[in-house]
Amino acid sequence: MQIFLFVLFGFLAGIIGGMGMGGGTLLVPLLSFLDMEQKTIQATNLISFIPMCCIALSVHAHNKLVKTDNVWWIIIPAVLSAVGGAFTAGITDNKILRYCFAAFLIAVGIWQLVIAVRFEVKRHRDKNLPVPVRPMLPAAVSDGDGKD
Amino acid sequence: MELSAKNKWILVIFSAAAGFVNGFLGGGGGVIVVALLLAVAKLNQKYAQATALLIILPLTIVSAVVYLARGAVDWIPTLWVTLGVVVGGIVGAVALSKLKSNVLKIIFAVVLIAGGIKMFF
Repeated sequence: MQIFLFVLFGFLAGIIGGMGMGGGTLLVPLLSFLDMEQKTIQATNLISFIPMCCIALSVHAHNKLVKTDNVWWIIIPAVLSAVGGAFTAGITDNKILRYCFAAFLIAVGIWQLVIAVRFEVKRHRDKNLPVPVRPMLPAAVSDGDGKD
Repeated sequence: MELSAKNKWILVIFSAAAGFVNGFLGGGGGVIVVALLLAVAKLNQKYAQATALLIILPLTIVSAVVYLARGAVDWIPTLWVTLGVVVGGIVGAVALSKLKSNVLKIIFAVVLIAGGIKMFF
């Protein structure tokens, strides 16, 4: 039964992760329903993410969606502090880690909810606006650099 | 895109925060990285989500190595969960083009909040 739940929870989190919506943020609370320590849950989350990330990244790279400009400004400090974070987790009590993760989830959930509701309200408002009459101009051609 | 010195510092500071969160909580850094790529690097949503994977992958590998070295990994659940995540990830990537709904994001946000509250008890 527990093996079935491991696969099911992984599958559900994988769907969300594959959509780029943050599968790890779903997998950790799901696994917390089972009898597992918080550090083991976090380690499971990290390791299970690696193969999925490699597959998704190769698909996105093939579709030319990955932009490498300026990424070293993010990767180097993030990798260094990730090591620090992982060591800090190692010396932190499981219960405190669990509460920290819970607080992080609630904060991210509220943040995502505000963004999504704002977008929905704007879309609803724009839909109700009268369509402006535009002059016939040739369509703009994207330069394909991924910027808005 | 050429970044100003101020924006480079913003990237360095917030990406260090994202890395720490990812290592300390075993995930969650991606949310911060996507926000950084949208707000500072000015990528659009699709490019930001794809590029975030390139950034999160090395963070995840180094964090996983530290957890592994400290003996926090239980391989039986990890292997079964990984199987589910890989299959689900492929389904999710295929479904993305068909199910790109803002309503889904609202539902997911509510699930996160509920999951967070549940973890407190």
